[in-house]
Amino acid sequence: MSDTLKRRSFLKGTLAATTALALPMRAQAQDVLKMGVVLPSPIADVGWSHTLMEGVNTVKEAYGDKLEVTVLENIMEGPDADRIANGLVSEGNEVLLLGSFGYQNGGIQIAKRNRDVSIIHASGFMVEPNFAPFTAKYWQGTYLMGMAAASLTKTKKIGCVGAFAIPELITSINAFMLGALSVDPEITMSVVWVNSWFDPASEQEAAKALISQDVDVLFSNAQDTPSVIAVAEEAGVYAYNLNSSMKSYAPSKYLGVVGTDWGPHFKRLVDGHVAGEFPGANYWLGMEDDVVFTADWNPDIPADMIAQIEAKQAEIATGDFVVFKGPLTDQAGAERVADGVAMTDDEIISMDWHVAGVTTPLPS
Amino acid sequence: MSGLEFLLAGTLAASLPLLLAALGEMVVEKTGLLNLGLEGMMAIGAAIAFICVFHTGSHVLGFAAAALISTVIAMLFAILVIGVKANEVAAGLAIGVLGLGLSALFGKSYESRTISGLPKIDIPILSDVPLIGPTLLTQDIVVWLAVLGTMALWWVLNRTKLGLIIAAVGENADAARSIGYPVVLIRMCAVAFGGAMCGLAGAYASTVYTPLWADGMIAGRGWIALALVVFGTWQTGRVAFGALLFGILSLGELTAQAMGVGLPSQVLSSLPYLVTILMLVVISRRRSCPTLPP
Repeated sequence: MSDTLKRRSFLKGTLAATTALALPMRAQAQDVLKMGVVLPSPIADVGWSHTLMEGVNTVKEAYGDKLEVTVLENIMEGPDADRIANGLVSEGNEVLLLGSFGYQNGGIQIAKRNRDVSIIHASGFMVEPNFAPFTAKYWQGTYLMGMAAASLTKTKKIGCVGAFAIPELITSINAFMLGALSVDPEITMSVVWVNSWFDPASEQEAAKALISQDVDVLFSNAQDTPSVIAVAEEAGVYAYNLNSSMKSYAPSKYLGVVGTDWGPHFKRLVDGHVAGEFPGANYWLGMEDDVVFTADWNPDIPADMIAQIEAKQAEIATGDFVVFKGPLTDQAGAERVADGVAMTDDEIISMDWHVAGVTTPLPS
Repeated sequence: MSGLEFLLAGTLAASLPLLLAALGEMVVEKTGLLNLGLEGMMAIGAAIAFICVFHTGSHVLGFAAAALISTVIAMLFAILVIGVKANEVAAGLAIGVLGLGLSALFGKSYESRTISGLPKIDIPILSDVPLIGPTLLTQDIVVWLAVLGTMALWWVLNRTKLGLIIAAVGENADAARSIGYPVVLIRMCAVAFGGAMCGLAGAYASTVYTPLWADGMIAGRGWIALALVVFGTWQTGRVAFGALLFGILSLGELTAQAMGVGLPSQVLSSLPYLVTILMLVVISRRRSCPTLPP
């Protein structure tokens, strides 16, 4: 491996030297690292693609002129995305950020064919020495949101609009429930699955359906637009979402945000690539990595609750408090995790059951 | 608010984009054409209406601009199909893709922005009726206009000479031409009407029903509207019924989930589509009903 690298850098060096003699300008361009970014949705002021771009911008700021970023947004998962990613590689992009799970198979192929290209991939599970997926531990934040929700709900009913019933979303919902129950054991939660990653109209109707069932705190789980947040503000119920703050869409009823800051992580990986030692691994990052954070807490939350939340947040970051730790029972009342036992990463990644307190059945 | 009240209050609004687009397409198909570009025409209408309302605050202007732009796109289809005799399936799909593309282009800098919708109107006396008063009978102005418009369309198609001419053009274009009706002009007008209705449907979706813009927000409703035309066997009343049924099923599915009904949500989500397929089967079994455009 190191041998090939040496040979490659030698070849590059010779190439740069020869071109430097002929075309001094061209040689300068060789020093610039080219990075390609493929995003599944349009870049807006909020949402998933926005959050990823914030991370990319952190890297850009650190590298300045030494980094040239090409961004391709709203690229549908599938053959088209693979073609576009291949195109980026042939244009000389050495680092790729593939911003969606569905880019995984095409991305892995590129990684295997081009060992000198490093790929950062969102929310996958496949790993190569030059292919590193990443996921956020959103549940660390949704637990805190549950505590906040419990302090504000009057009906003792909280709700969630979910995209698809997959473990990543289920863990966020379960942690939200556990957080609420830690404050008030009488709280129940209803979940409505829209069964679509993107359908603002259905998302809004789902939120209204929950509100009609007396739900007064809503979790907008995996919606990229402020659909649920806007309905909540209009109906006068609290709501929060993931990734980036949507406070401007709900100035009075915004509960807060479970945000993610990918900047440090992306920078670490790009640094690794430049140093020739890209750390290809599966990254599962949370508050302890400064990736997951909370912000924009609603001023209606009582001060003592804010203090409790902050204390809990500190414990999560240090690892003193673990969200998914027994005793945990499921909806049927059966004990799933014994007292004092913490769930393993693998168990959390494949969580396909709701904790007690969630009243709506989980689609199997 | 109970689940029932939620359904009563929301169904008309949920059905409206489907209803408008389907009625427009129904008229197009009655003249013997098939325009598959509904999704794209709705999307461009939605984008333009949103941009208009975002800047001017005027929903009237938004709806007008949406109707106009979608008519322009529809006329492109008319020129291709009627003018140069291009294949209508290919042309319809092409303008559909064009509409979607343009909507993404124009809407680019408005991604995830929100505006305020239209207020619900309290109608004296009617709004005081128990249960349905504050729910079913309290709607925004567009819903009431659409109800009147649907009745007017039924009247034109079934009780006027124009309706007969449209039917004649669709049933036998050669005969209609030989007795002196301007077939090309009538088809052009029908396609323009279909485009305008899709524009209005898109405008309602992006400025009233879900007052925000996001690329792809029509989310397949154009295709559902297309299916509704067949579902309603090219009859105004049945198309309207189909749109309402679809609206109530899609809301009912979400309500059932919120109430914790123990059915898998995937089954509930596909219920409206299953019912459409079922109805198509039922219709084709009944020989008295046509299964092809009249």
